[in-house]
Amino acid sequence: MYSIEILPNSSTHATPGWTYVPDRRDRGFDPAKAAITPAVGRKRGIRDPGRADLSSRQNNAIVRHLAELDRENHKDVSIPIPVKQQKDSGGRGTRGKVTSNVRRILQSQKTFRNHLDDEEAAQAQAAQTATQRPAPAQLSRLAKPPSSRRSSTPAAASKPEPASSRQKKHTPSVTPSAAAPAASTTTSTDGDGDGDKPDADASPNPTKLITSEHDNDPLLRSYIPSAPSDRIMQALLSEPPLSYHAARAGPPLTNKSPRRFCCMCGYWGKIRCKNCHQRTCGLECYKVHEDSRCGAFF
Amino acid sequence: MGTAKPRPSGRGSIAKAPSLPSKTFVIDNGAHTMKAGYAPDSVPSDDGSQLLSTCATIPNALTKTRNNRVYIGSQLHTHVTDWNELMFRRPVEKGYTVNWEAEKEIWEHSFFDEKTARKDLRIASPEETTLVLTEAPNALPILQKNADEIVMEEWGFGGYLRTIGPSLNAWNEIRSLFGDPLAQNPDGPISPAECLLVIDSGYSHTTVTPVYKGRPLQRGIRRLDLGGKHLTNYLKEMVSMRQYNMVDETYIMNDVKEAVCFVSNNFPGEMEQAWKGNRKRGQPDPSEGVVVDYVLPDPNAGVKGFMRPHDPLLNLKKRKSTLSGSETALLSEDVLVLGNERFTVPEILFTPGDIGMKQAGIPDMILQSLSVLPTGLHPAFLANVLVVGGNALLPGFMDRLETELRQTASTECVVRVRRPQDPIRFAWLGGARFATNKEELKRVAITRQEYQENGSSWAGRKFSGAL
Repeated sequence: MYSIEILPNSSTHATPGWTYVPDRRDRGFDPAKAAITPAVGRKRGIRDPGRADLSSRQNNAIVRHLAELDRENHKDVSIPIPVKQQKDSGGRGTRGKVTSNVRRILQSQKTFRNHLDDEEAAQAQAAQTATQRPAPAQLSRLAKPPSSRRSSTPAAASKPEPASSRQKKHTPSVTPSAAAPAASTTTSTDGDGDGDKPDADASPNPTKLITSEHDNDPLLRSYIPSAPSDRIMQALLSEPPLSYHAARAGPPLTNKSPRRFCCMCGYWGKIRCKNCHQRTCGLECYKVHEDSRCGAFF
Repeated sequence: MGTAKPRPSGRGSIAKAPSLPSKTFVIDNGAHTMKAGYAPDSVPSDDGSQLLSTCATIPNALTKTRNNRVYIGSQLHTHVTDWNELMFRRPVEKGYTVNWEAEKEIWEHSFFDEKTARKDLRIASPEETTLVLTEAPNALPILQKNADEIVMEEWGFGGYLRTIGPSLNAWNEIRSLFGDPLAQNPDGPISPAECLLVIDSGYSHTTVTPVYKGRPLQRGIRRLDLGGKHLTNYLKEMVSMRQYNMVDETYIMNDVKEAVCFVSNNFPGEMEQAWKGNRKRGQPDPSEGVVVDYVLPDPNAGVKGFMRPHDPLLNLKKRKSTLSGSETALLSEDVLVLGNERFTVPEILFTPGDIGMKQAGIPDMILQSLSVLPTGLHPAFLANVLVVGGNALLPGFMDRLETELRQTASTECVVRVRRPQDPIRFAWLGGARFATNKEELKRVAITRQEYQENGSSWAGRKFSGAL
């Protein structure tokens, strides 16, 4: 079962702006859920479109708004370096001549966006060569071209490949300290739970508590994990930095539905304009909105 | 690569002393302002205010006024009197130094040019100075390489260290800030805090950096692409939509933001208070305290902008004084009325979903950062959360962060969130204190000679800790 979803992306591709993505629901197939979810999804979509995925048009509006917030000046301006008198530039004579590196850097008019795109392209190329090289050794049995998505291979055979390559691209540094979480789940028997730092040398106080038979009850034990060993810390410290994109904070953990605000006065957006889907707080603001701002301008 | 021709005198001094120069200059190169100054030889015993007096905060921008004059760096504060329609060119983009053409101009003006640089900030001989330069975490390697090459080949500093800004905070007096007992040997060399979770909410973005013994845990660094610039622009957009057109007034709106904005600890409640619908009926105005007036600056009269309690009868008074012809001061002033804008604007740092962003807010981001670290470290980091950067100055920010962290963090952990006295210059202060520990500095910094022998890619590997 496949559904079509429009993926918002910032990079330019020759492909059309949509792609097939496997439907998540069929992974762990649950007939009960499968019977219910489509119906619920459809109805909810009618009642409250905000809960479902945003349309690409709304997405574009958000992306545009965020780009607007990211601007330095409202208008594009070029502010040149103030021209100096000749005798000022003579001052650098004491400093030796400009090296080629410096000249290149000073003349570069690249923006951060340009640099980031370069970086991404380089990374993508590196990832491609990295995946292509081991391919003949590992996948000689499969002997499939990377574009095996539409083929009739069972999902299990073709799944891991794109998943692993994607992972490699985004988080290049998740190799060491698989032992870290395992080692740190060892429990300390220290009872009181307000220790600031999980000192490894939390020696049991001799004059402590009255022992009872429930002390070793696993249900009553307070689990404060001990600090990881020095070796683990050294391994963590020596990890290379994440890439710019990998360091971006992920989506929120709690799946709260987004709050809506009145586009006129900023109060809660209780009613939705049926033309442009913007929210207003009440009829007073809606009238203003309808008269002045509703329409294709946004 | 690395072919800068050293000055004859420079070569002589290098041959004599291959170690780092004794003077250290620290630059925290922020997108909005750079914080710069010489590090002392030894740490003064007081709380750092003496040390901070040597640190200057300089706008890191070229400023263009209405009448097309361009001013560099600190001239913004000394030469510009008309704050309307100021335009900025900032060499630091998204927190990373991108445009070295402009950055060089500002640095030259602030540090090297003997006519314009302040006397206590002037770097007379770079080859006898060690430079400690900060960068934002997760910088692009090409930008790091550019910075190294410019610093070493254009100015030729005798010693150089490029480091992640937030990690320098760990070298400050963290224990007294959190109310912990002081270190055992106060006379020994400065040492970093053991575990510190640094929230750096600056102009371009907000980052979370777990710092362990002064070094960042790279896998835990997370970034929210919202900072002070976005808050200012968002406020500007709201005000322009609802009241006056202020889209060109970035500088003024930044002042408005700093004067009026706060982080709400009771968002729905304050939203109700600020609602115009409630204002009409109730006799005692419920919006009192939430809604304020901001009087815009008047360049002709030389009056700066300021905030005052909301006066609902202001328009009436204005009309009266037009009729009577008195009180011209009242007539000439322009007032912005700010209600829910005051707290919905900073709210996006905590709920980026309010502007449709699919990133987590700051408290969630902290937990995401911790989730990739061993659980044994969580209590130590949650008990030592330090907030720096300009947004930390927003009233209510600390309470809100502590409350939300407390609610989401595990019950066994103590949550302590603290803000230093001066969150903007705290990283610089840490850098200056770090520079007094010559042993540690020598371990991580490079000398001019090493750079000339090994080149910039070696320097990049050295700073990333690979060597």
